[in-house]
Amino acid sequence: MSATTGRSRKAHSTPVGLSLLAALGLALVALPLLGLALRTPWSRLGQTLSSESALTALRLSLVVSIAAAAIGLVVGFPLAWMLARSRFRGRALVRGLVVLPLVMPPVAGGVALLTAFGRSGILGRPLHEAFSVQITFTTWAAILASTFVSFPFVVLALEAGIRSIDERLEQAAATMGASRWYVIRRVTLPLLGPQIAAGVVLAWARALGEFGATITFAGNLQGRTQTLPLAVFQQLQTDPEGAIALSLLLIAVALSVIVALRARFLPAS
Amino acid sequence: MRRLLVFAVGCVLLTSACSAAGGDAETNKLTVFAAASLTAAFTQIGADFEAANPGVSVTFNFGPAGGLAAQIESEGTADVFAPASLSWMDEVANKVGVHDRTDFARNTLTIITPPDDPAGIGSIADLARPGIQLVLAAPGVPVGDYAREALRKAGIERAALANVVSNEHADPGVVAKVAAGEADAGIVFASDIAPAAARAVRAVPIPHAMNVIAVYTIAVVEGSAHQPLAEEFLRYVIGPEGQAALGRYGFLPPP
Repeated sequence: MSATTGRSRKAHSTPVGLSLLAALGLALVALPLLGLALRTPWSRLGQTLSSESALTALRLSLVVSIAAAAIGLVVGFPLAWMLARSRFRGRALVRGLVVLPLVMPPVAGGVALLTAFGRSGILGRPLHEAFSVQITFTTWAAILASTFVSFPFVVLALEAGIRSIDERLEQAAATMGASRWYVIRRVTLPLLGPQIAAGVVLAWARALGEFGATITFAGNLQGRTQTLPLAVFQQLQTDPEGAIALSLLLIAVALSVIVALRARFLPAS
Repeated sequence: MRRLLVFAVGCVLLTSACSAAGGDAETNKLTVFAAASLTAAFTQIGADFEAANPGVSVTFNFGPAGGLAAQIESEGTADVFAPASLSWMDEVANKVGVHDRTDFARNTLTIITPPDDPAGIGSIADLARPGIQLVLAAPGVPVGDYAREALRKAGIERAALANVVSNEHADPGVVAKVAAGEADAGIVFASDIAPAAARAVRAVPIPHAMNVIAVYTIAVVEGSAHQPLAEEFLRYVIGPEGQAALGRYGFLPPP
């Protein structure tokens, strides 16, 4: 090996310290997955995953997480737009509130949801007294819990996206007579495609894994509020192998969607 | 090749660092795995035991028996095991091994409702009324299995189970959902509402003939690194101080 090639190789190779830390980081993620794969009861995997309780939980998880991501987009875009474009008093406070579910323990989020939408909550009590409507213990409660913990991802991704849009494009459309709604629908939203995809996928993935707020606020009932993470947790009490199989299913669903969408919307540089 | 080597070294360092931190040789730190329903009573007993034995510290892991048994089997970190179910003690006795096994308390079931009793629950039969929102612990959790047994004895298993709106993973979840007024009724151990939660919920007794008596058993886990201390704690629990504390928290004396 000559001196020159040695130097050029050095310039391109990663420093040893960095490699070690990267290996630590990778091992942190890879070892638990490896452990799960090694402990998986492969011989009875098909039987466990095709059981009625597993399929019910999978179906419910898909419904809840997709609904949460969709609602997150519908309420998240207006919030992101306001945070990025409007000047109003208390904007910092609003932004802080919006990201709070990200740092709040999900169980605390579930308790907070109870105090608002529970049968004796701020909004829940009048709803229950006037219309006999109860949100807790319904699939709506599971969707609400998942939306609560996941929609900050949509807001953060879209706010950054809206800020990066060249405002002159929107101004040009406006000077040609387009209404503000028309500009948002035909200029702003189409330009935000990648950020919408990124925000919605992140929110969906967070909603898919949601556990604490759901079990606290929505309860745990097969077919109604028992999503896959709750099914994993309950299975762990009586059948650890079954719980591992269900965990694998959850990971497979999340991974396949993220990989598929990454290829479609977020091409790697 | 070199990068691969560095990666391999990193992995080895990681695993050896973990095993170095794992061996806890301190002899005065006791770890007790106990039923969720024992939370209040054992926290009190643990504090009393620490006060009586200066320098000793007792750490508790409260949870449903099945989850605790799985952790004991895979991690082996428990010195003492005290489940609310004899079958889970059998499981740990067979797979890991225990000694000094002793029954130390009994518990009965009670119905709980929110303090204002929105559904008008007067007896166990009311749990079968259509539209009642009933919360139980999940099947496989001792108090959940006992509750289903009581409903079966009362002859209302089918109708009452159709009213279940949530299967909680342990007793505190049932008490919390009922105390918050979300559910109309729940079934828990008498000890789950005494004395701390007694004001947060209203109790409706279950007649003796339909009730289930849960027997609590305690043992030293084989392979515990703190055998003498573990045996001492066990003797404290079955001794007069431990029994008095258990009585204050709603438990019955052992059979």
